[in-house]
Amino acid sequence: MAYLVLDKLTKRFRRETVFEDLSLSAEPGETIAVFGPSGAGKTVLLRLIAGVFDPEAGDIRLDGRSILHLPPEARDVGMAFQNFALYPHLDAFRNIASPLKAQGLGGEEVRRRVQAVAELLKIDHVLTHLPKALSNGQKQRTSLARSLVRKPKLLLLDDPLRNVDAKLRYEMRLELPRVLKQAGVTVLYVTQDYKEAMALGDRVAVLTGGGIAQLDTPERIYKAPASREVAQLFGDPTINLLPARPEPNGGGATVDIVGASFPLPPLPEAALGRDCLIGIRPEHIRVAMEQREGALPAELDAVTPLNVRSVLLLKTEDGGELLASCPEREAERFPRGHRSVWIDIEASQLLVFDAASGARLGGAAP
Amino acid sequence: MAGLRLDRVTKVYQGRRGRGVLAVDAVDMAVEDGEIVGLLGSSGCGKTSTLRMVAGFETVTEGEIRIGERLVNDLPPAKRNVAMAFEGYALYPPLRIRDNIAFGLLRDRRPKAEVAARVAEVAGLLEIGDLLDRYPPSLSGGEQQRASLARALARSADLHLLDEPMSQLEPQLRAILRARIKDWLISHKMTTVFVTHDQTEAIALADRIAVMEAGVLQQFATPAELKERPANLFVAGFIGEPPMNLFKAVADRSGAQPLLVVQDEAGRRAFDLPLPDLPLSEGRALHLGIRPHRIGFGAGEGIAAKVLSNHWLGDQTHLGLEVGGLVLTGVADAAIEARLGSEIAVELPLAALHVFDSESGQAIAHGASLVADGRGAAA
Repeated sequence: MAYLVLDKLTKRFRRETVFEDLSLSAEPGETIAVFGPSGAGKTVLLRLIAGVFDPEAGDIRLDGRSILHLPPEARDVGMAFQNFALYPHLDAFRNIASPLKAQGLGGEEVRRRVQAVAELLKIDHVLTHLPKALSNGQKQRTSLARSLVRKPKLLLLDDPLRNVDAKLRYEMRLELPRVLKQAGVTVLYVTQDYKEAMALGDRVAVLTGGGIAQLDTPERIYKAPASREVAQLFGDPTINLLPARPEPNGGGATVDIVGASFPLPPLPEAALGRDCLIGIRPEHIRVAMEQREGALPAELDAVTPLNVRSVLLLKTEDGGELLASCPEREAERFPRGHRSVWIDIEASQLLVFDAASGARLGGAAP
Repeated sequence: MAGLRLDRVTKVYQGRRGRGVLAVDAVDMAVEDGEIVGLLGSSGCGKTSTLRMVAGFETVTEGEIRIGERLVNDLPPAKRNVAMAFEGYALYPPLRIRDNIAFGLLRDRRPKAEVAARVAEVAGLLEIGDLLDRYPPSLSGGEQQRASLARALARSADLHLLDEPMSQLEPQLRAILRARIKDWLISHKMTTVFVTHDQTEAIALADRIAVMEAGVLQQFATPAELKERPANLFVAGFIGEPPMNLFKAVADRSGAQPLLVVQDEAGRRAFDLPLPDLPLSEGRALHLGIRPHRIGFGAGEGIAAKVLSNHWLGDQTHLGLEVGGLVLTGVADAAIEARLGSEIAVELPLAALHVFDSESGQAIAHGASLVADGRGAAA
C-alpha cells in the first residue's frame, strides 16, 4: 500500500492557483524527485505536506490516515533545506540531537541514535565541532542527519544541493541514495536540476504550471515523455523540435524533416496528416566529416564543449538549425572554423508530439 | 578588432586605515586578435576587477593595458573603442529595445539601413525579435540579458567585453545561444574577453581560459590543455564536471615492483598502481588525479570496485564507485549494467593519470608522459 498519498490537492494564494487536483502516491521507502521550473509550486507542495500551509481542497494521507488536521510537529515528517539552518551555538552532536531532546528523550538513547546517523553520513569525527568549524559539506550532512535522527517515515528535502559546490554536489548525489535506502525513509526530493532528479528519484514527478505533467521512472520520462514540455525539461542541450506532418507510407508513416524523408515509429491513425513536432534528442544525431551512405550534408556552425560531451550547432540544407551532441573526444576532430559535415539521424529514436496540445503521439517508448 | 595585452597588471583597493587589498596580482596576458578569452574563477578571485580595468571602469594600480598598440591605462571607457555587456551597464530604460541596440551603431555613424538590418540580425540570433518594441523594464531578467548582449554583439569594436554574459539565460535556450554567439564571434572575428564563474560556460565559449584565484592568474590555456594538463591542484579541481577524482598517494619502491600507493583520507592504503617512471622520492606527499570519463569499465581485468550508485542521465551515465574505502566518480557514454552493491572491474589507465605535489599543489606529470611502456595498467 502506498505510504504517502496526495489526493486531488488544490492550493491557491488569493486568486492565483498554484496547482489543482494534484494527486501523487509514494510507496514505502521510495524516493520521488519533484522537478519543475521555478514557480511551478514545488516548495509549496512540500509545505502543504509539512503543515505550513493548508490546501483549499483535497487530502494528504500518511499510512492510510489523513494528516490534514494535525499540527506540523505531530506529522512525523522530517525536513532539510538548502540553507542548512543549523543552530550556530550548538555543536554538531547537539544540532543532530535537538529533535530528540524536543521529544523528551535523553541519555544513552540519544547518544546511540546520533552516533548511528552520524556514521551513516560519515560525520562521526566532527560531532564536537560548532557549525562555523564545519565545511559546507559537513554542514549539509549535519542538517541531513538532524532530519533523519528522529526516524521520520517521510522526509522532505527542499533542493538541498542547490548552494553547494560541484565537488560536494556530486559526492552527495552518489551517496544520498544509499543513505536514504538504509534509513528506509520515504522521500520527496525537490530539485531544479533535471540530472539530479534523474539520479536521485526512483520516480520523478514533473511539476509544471498547474499540476503533475508526468510521474514515472527517469528512463520512461526521458524516453517516453508525456508531452513536448516534459521532453524539453529533460536533456541538455534541449531536444530539437521540428514542425512537420507525418504522412502515411505503406503500412507505416514517414515525415519530411531537414530536407529528407524519415520513417516514423507506429503512430495512431489520427496523427497522420496532422501538424506535429518531431523531437530529436541531440545525442541521436551523428556528425562526421566524411560522407557516408544515407548521410545528409550540413553546415557545422559552432562546437561548444559541455562537460564530458560537446554540443554541435548545425545548419541543415533546408536552412533550419539542429543541436547535436557527442562525446568530447569525438568533437576534437572538428578544427575551429570547419564547416562542411555529414549527419545521420537515428530514426528509431524520433518522438512525435501533437503541435497543438503538445501531447506525445508516438515514438521511442522503451 | 585588435589584440589585448596585459603587462604586470595589478589592482590594489584602498581599505580602511590605508590598508590595501590586493585584488589582482601582476597579471600577464596576451589575447590574440580575433580570439575569445574567458576569465574564470570564483567570486573574489580578481576576474571582474581585471575586466573592469580593461573596460576603464577601474584605475590600474600598476602595470600596462594595451588594446592593439594603444596604451589605454589613462583613457576613459568611451575612448577605448570597446563594446560591453556588463551587469551594471544597464539598458537605457526610456529607449525601446530596438533603439537600445541601435544606439551604439548610430553613434558609430553607421547608415540607417545597415543599422536596421544589423539590429534585426542580432535580435534573431538572441531570440528577441518580438521584444524589439518593448521597453527594458517590461522584460524578464533573462530577456534583458539577451538584449544587453545583442547591443554589444551588434557593434564592431576593437574589443568586446562581456561580464557574466549568460548567467541569467533561460536553461532551455542556453545551449543554442552559446553556440550561436560563438559562431557570431568567430565569423565576425571579434576579439572577446568575458568573465564567468561557471567553468561549463567558459569551456563552451572560449578559445583560451584564464583561470584566476586569489588575484593570481593560475593558468592561461585552451580548454583541452586545462583538462589534460592542469598546472596545479586548484585548476585540476575547478575545471571539469563531474570534477576530477583526486586522491592522496605515495611512491613505494620497497617491493619487487615499484608502486604508487593510493591512500584514503586517513592515509590508509586503498589500492596500488604501477609506479610511473618519474623522479618521485619515497614518502613525498603526492596527489593523484583522474577525470571521471577516463575511467574504463567492463574490461575483464582491472581493479574491483563496488557500485555505490548508477545514474543514467539520458546521454551519459554517472557511477559512484568504492575502491578500498575511496569513493570515485566515473562517467560512461552509454548505460552500464551494474546493480548497486555489485562489483565491477574498473581500469585507471596510466595515460589518464595526473600527478601533483601535495605541498606546493603544482603538477608533476600528466597522462601520456606517464606511460613508460606504452600500455595502460591496472593493479
